[in-house]
Amino acid sequence: MQQPSFRRLLAALVPIPLVVSACLGTPATTPAPTASSGAPSAAASSGGESVAPSADVTGTVTFWNGYAADGEEITTFTDVVLPAFKKLYPNVTVNHQEIPYDDLRQKLVTGLAGGTLPDVLRADIIWVPEFADMDALLPLDTEMSDFATISGQVFPGPLSTNKWKDHYYGLPLDTNTRILFYNTKVFQDAGITAAPKTIDEFETAMAQVKTKLGAGHYGYAEGGTGAWSILPWIWSFGGGITNAELTTATGTLNGPATVAAVTKLKDWLDKGYISPSILGGGVATSEQFGKDESATILEGPWMPGIFKNQFPTLGFEYATVPAGPGGSYSVVGGEDIVVFKQTQNKEAALAFTRFMLSEEAQLAMGKVGQMPVLSSLAGNADLPDYYPTFQEQLKTANARTPVPAWPKIDEAISNGVLKALRGDASVQAALDEAATTIDGLLKGS
Amino acid sequence: MARARRLLPIYGLLLPGMVLYGLWAAYPLISSFILSFSEWNLTKPTVFIGLDNYTRALSDPLFWRSLSSTLGYTIVSVAGQLVLGLGAALLLNQRIPGRSLLRLVYYLPVITSWVIVSLVFLFIYNGQAGALNWLLKDVLHLISKNIAWLAEPSTALWAIAILGIWKGIGWTMVVFLAGLQSVPRELYEAAAMDGAGAWARFRYVTIPFLRATSTFLIVVLTIGGFNAFISIFVMSSSATGTIGGPLNSTDVALTYMWKQAFTQIDLGYGAALSFLLAAAIVVVSVVELRLARRQETA
Repeated sequence: MQQPSFRRLLAALVPIPLVVSACLGTPATTPAPTASSGAPSAAASSGGESVAPSADVTGTVTFWNGYAADGEEITTFTDVVLPAFKKLYPNVTVNHQEIPYDDLRQKLVTGLAGGTLPDVLRADIIWVPEFADMDALLPLDTEMSDFATISGQVFPGPLSTNKWKDHYYGLPLDTNTRILFYNTKVFQDAGITAAPKTIDEFETAMAQVKTKLGAGHYGYAEGGTGAWSILPWIWSFGGGITNAELTTATGTLNGPATVAAVTKLKDWLDKGYISPSILGGGVATSEQFGKDESATILEGPWMPGIFKNQFPTLGFEYATVPAGPGGSYSVVGGEDIVVFKQTQNKEAALAFTRFMLSEEAQLAMGKVGQMPVLSSLAGNADLPDYYPTFQEQLKTANARTPVPAWPKIDEAISNGVLKALRGDASVQAALDEAATTIDGLLKGS
Repeated sequence: MARARRLLPIYGLLLPGMVLYGLWAAYPLISSFILSFSEWNLTKPTVFIGLDNYTRALSDPLFWRSLSSTLGYTIVSVAGQLVLGLGAALLLNQRIPGRSLLRLVYYLPVITSWVIVSLVFLFIYNGQAGALNWLLKDVLHLISKNIAWLAEPSTALWAIAILGIWKGIGWTMVVFLAGLQSVPRELYEAAAMDGAGAWARFRYVTIPFLRATSTFLIVVLTIGGFNAFISIFVMSSSATGTIGGPLNSTDVALTYMWKQAFTQIDLGYGAALSFLLAAAIVVVSVVELRLARRQETA
């Protein structure tokens, strides 16, 4: 019969792809790490890792970074740093990929799944505990024979961002913080004669901008309510996120000092002193600053180079964050350099990491806004003349809570402050809710 | 034997397609289904946890919220596309000069890239310098203060739904136009002779013939609405820096799944969410088809 045999044939063929896929199995195993994991008891790294530069070290090092494409960072890296590295290690090739910040994190997640990770990564400091907890990074304190020497040469604050549960999973590469940038033209037009040193002076200055310059002009612009944006204000008021032991947020995040800080921000927003961009969906703060719409913003040491290209005629100066009842505080940012466990070129990767922490590389990148982490370079005459204010602020800059759950904690803070600023809930209630959420997240880690 | 010789080349030609389908559709689907019963965070080994992911999803308030946002988005975008698409089809079914050009213009948004269009609408919706605010505030004076369309929890999802409507009208119009061609001309003439006005002609002649087309469109557009991802992902993450928008108001099922799988790196949970969404789509589609069939026999 025509139909039955046709149907039989079809029925025979259809399950083939299903059978094939079942045989291929499920992702039950992880991408096997090929490099040996440094056991805590191992004193020196296995295989006699050569510390001195030599032609013996061979291999290809894939290096992912987030250097800005529209600044001098990448040109300095390719034209100054890499050739110097090549001179010391002629048989090592460095494949570098520049990936914008948001895409970089996504690419790393994809890489973790597919086993296509780089050898070395310039990672945001807040990613290190998360990746270390996932057992994806090499513990450099056991892998690098000269780790003790190098770690003694860097600032302790940035070094601490690499520590996770008894080991150091990276080395600091560059550090930064946010300080107050003020637009000299807007200050002049508003009749402000000096940079505000305290929060009260800051408020007065913002009021002057509003009265003298009117609608469309703001004293301060911020791009959102995430931790990076608002922690300088919270800390300067004497508030914070968690207690010292990093176990609970209740009592600190919804304590009187933090509530006072967020209440003040809401007050400024309602009075029209700060730009509505803080609620999201607005124009970028650097644009508002460059177009003379905002008198001040908080920015980092990479901005002067970018402003030079984007707004060449813009005149601006620097000051530390206006001091509140708690002092003048800001957030520590920066990048650490980490090596992935999956690397097939461990020696070459470690050699490259070591070189990036040399005075030569640090100074070269330091000249283009990547603040060095070597204490020997503090106050170096070749560094840009705007560094002193940043270095001053770094003395009182705090790191964000170093736990793997940090991204979720950041989201809880951001939503809580946003609710408070929008008036959807009272400041106290919004922060109470956020603190409870964060308590749960801290318990988990 | 002769039949086998005849059939063999046919199946031979079908085989490459089946293999590709197996590799790219069947295999990921099945392994994803198995993954939904496990816990996997990329570096630690997969752990079988049975139905834990599913029970967790069903008691997760954010998941239900994302489903209700998905439903809201779908209802608005489907209704908009149907009404405006039908309107455009009716208008462009008339013999007017420039009809072909107009049909082309209406169809162009359909073939644009979702990402590009989302970025363009980001500029239009910008809360401080956007074109929409300029039009409503400075030109028409309909609002007194700028509205941050994508940062306001109450407007963000609907703003993105409007983008979905704009992008889909052309396709709905084309399908309706095809359906309109099946309406016999003589019926219109007969109805006109019986004294039926334009609205009556539409109601008693056009609509019955468009029933099958409408059912098809509703089912397909609903599936599309439930699968909405790119525009919401691009616009909410660019506007507010978080996927999920202002206070999670634009979190639809797929963006929530994306966050769980790729930001929180909890891939088993993400897989479970995707299958729950698939189940929801099947249920909704079946309900729609049943309702349509009941209407037909009524």
